[in-house]
Amino acid sequence: MTNSYTVKGHSFLVGQAFVGRGLMRMRRLPSLMLPTIVMPIFFVVAFSGSFASVVALEGYGTDKAVNWMTAWAVLQGAAFSGLGGGGLTATDIENGFFDRLRTAPINPSVLLTGLVGYSICRAVIPTTAVLIVSFCFLGAEMPGGGLGFIMVYISAIGMAAFMSFFVLGIVFIFKSIKSLAIAQIVMFSTMFLSVGQAPLEAIEGWLNGVAEVNPISHVIRMCRQGFLGEVTWQQTQPGLIAMLCLIAGTAIWARICYRKVDI
Amino acid sequence: MRNPIEAKELSRTFGDLVAVDGINLSVAKGEVFGFLGPNGAGKSTAVRMLTTLLKPTSGQAWVAGHNVMSSAGAVRKRIGVALQDAAIDPLMTGNELLKLQSVLHGIPKRKARARCGELLETVGLTAAGDRRVGTYSGGMRRRLDLALSLVHEPEVLFLDEPTTGLDPTSRVALWDEVRKLNQEIGTTVFLTTQYLEEADQLAQRIAIIDEGRIVREGSPSVLKNQVGAPTLRVDVWEKDYNAAKATMAHFGEERPARKGRIAIGLNAGTRGITVVLKALEDKSIEVQHVELDEPSLDDVFADATGRRLEGGESA
Repeated sequence: MTNSYTVKGHSFLVGQAFVGRGLMRMRRLPSLMLPTIVMPIFFVVAFSGSFASVVALEGYGTDKAVNWMTAWAVLQGAAFSGLGGGGLTATDIENGFFDRLRTAPINPSVLLTGLVGYSICRAVIPTTAVLIVSFCFLGAEMPGGGLGFIMVYISAIGMAAFMSFFVLGIVFIFKSIKSLAIAQIVMFSTMFLSVGQAPLEAIEGWLNGVAEVNPISHVIRMCRQGFLGEVTWQQTQPGLIAMLCLIAGTAIWARICYRKVDI
Repeated sequence: MRNPIEAKELSRTFGDLVAVDGINLSVAKGEVFGFLGPNGAGKSTAVRMLTTLLKPTSGQAWVAGHNVMSSAGAVRKRIGVALQDAAIDPLMTGNELLKLQSVLHGIPKRKARARCGELLETVGLTAAGDRRVGTYSGGMRRRLDLALSLVHEPEVLFLDEPTTGLDPTSRVALWDEVRKLNQEIGTTVFLTTQYLEEADQLAQRIAIIDEGRIVREGSPSVLKNQVGAPTLRVDVWEKDYNAAKATMAHFGEERPARKGRIAIGLNAGTRGITVVLKALEDKSIEVQHVELDEPSLDDVFADATGRRLEGGESA
């Protein structure tokens, strides 16, 4: 009587279905996307304007504040997207929908990848929005050309993936949407304690030490390089390594925390 | 070969709280098994363990022939689950949810499309299939939940308090669906409920759980018979009264009744009624009125625990 179905590419189809579901929710509840789009745009507009002269200091490597701030704003938006992906899971846990997913015959890793896939797709929207505002209204430049744009999108996708895995871990432990506050604190701390706003040369004291070892600094540099000049392997490599390590580490963290859901 | 559901000394604790305390279960193929108990008795915890959502602290369980701990994936392929509080995304439509469920279970696209339409029709939601679930009534959500749990034609269906919060009409409609599934497809159903009537109506066999332990198990009629024989009350013409009383005395001890009525505790249980009526007819005694009062499952619960399930007062 029972049919045990096995369709080709099941894992891919499951991931695709999760991404599709997430995007559908965004269409039907646009307010979900507002903070993710508005906040990074606000960042790039406000910080580029307020700190227009700061780029005259040593270390910025550009004469336009918007060139410096755009990468940071993009990664803020990507991090928010990752947070949103975790938020959807928290809602699913609270309303019981997550139990339906857990009783389905799918590997937990596929489930996690699907949820992160949604965050990645989600990150493309604020990234594109920030780039449009920066280039069309704030006069940003990309001397790094097409490769510079590619670096921006790769960094944003990586940031969304890492943040999403991290937030999923938090959500699996606390099983509540309220736990996003903890994730937000970590997100803002890591973003602000980096070279996001200022170059290492302009940061003093312990903040300098933290920003230097903060792996997010490498990701930001990778993202920003095209705005400041040519895209080089010397700038890309540490960023890629940092990003992959962050993704791998948080993926393991999320997988371990997944076991906590049933407690 | 194992029964579709088997549990041996299955336990689950949360800190100091023993939610399920060494239960043993065996549910036969094609059976509707009722798991009856008050709130907090351990019903949902047991279901969560049997459906692989919660790891047992100790003991073993097998569902559809597979161990719930070591072969969770194989169990998930073979079970359908409709948990308490229909777990449905309100932003999605019924159709979208069914399609998502089909993907999760690896059902090929064409087959899934046909199956979704079929299930929506079965649960009477064809017209509402493209509406967001947020606009559904409680009964519609429950029916959709049931449809979702059936997408992959499961061997074993777990229904955790499926009618809680439903109006009487929706409740009866859902009972009909469950009966149909069981009778037409032969699905084994594990049903938890706190409603006596639901267990009585649907389950061929029930287990009563209280404070994490199974306190009674058997078919509703056997359990009720264990508490005491049902009372048969018969009204006859005055001229036949003594003859009727003597005839009926062969079938059970006399019980108090108003003037002109004869009441006995029917030793053979509810099935004995036809025999008594036949005996009266053979003696040309015309029966004016017949009443049969069975002990209720609440009496069974009270007998086992010293408390009443309905109303919660002491027995």
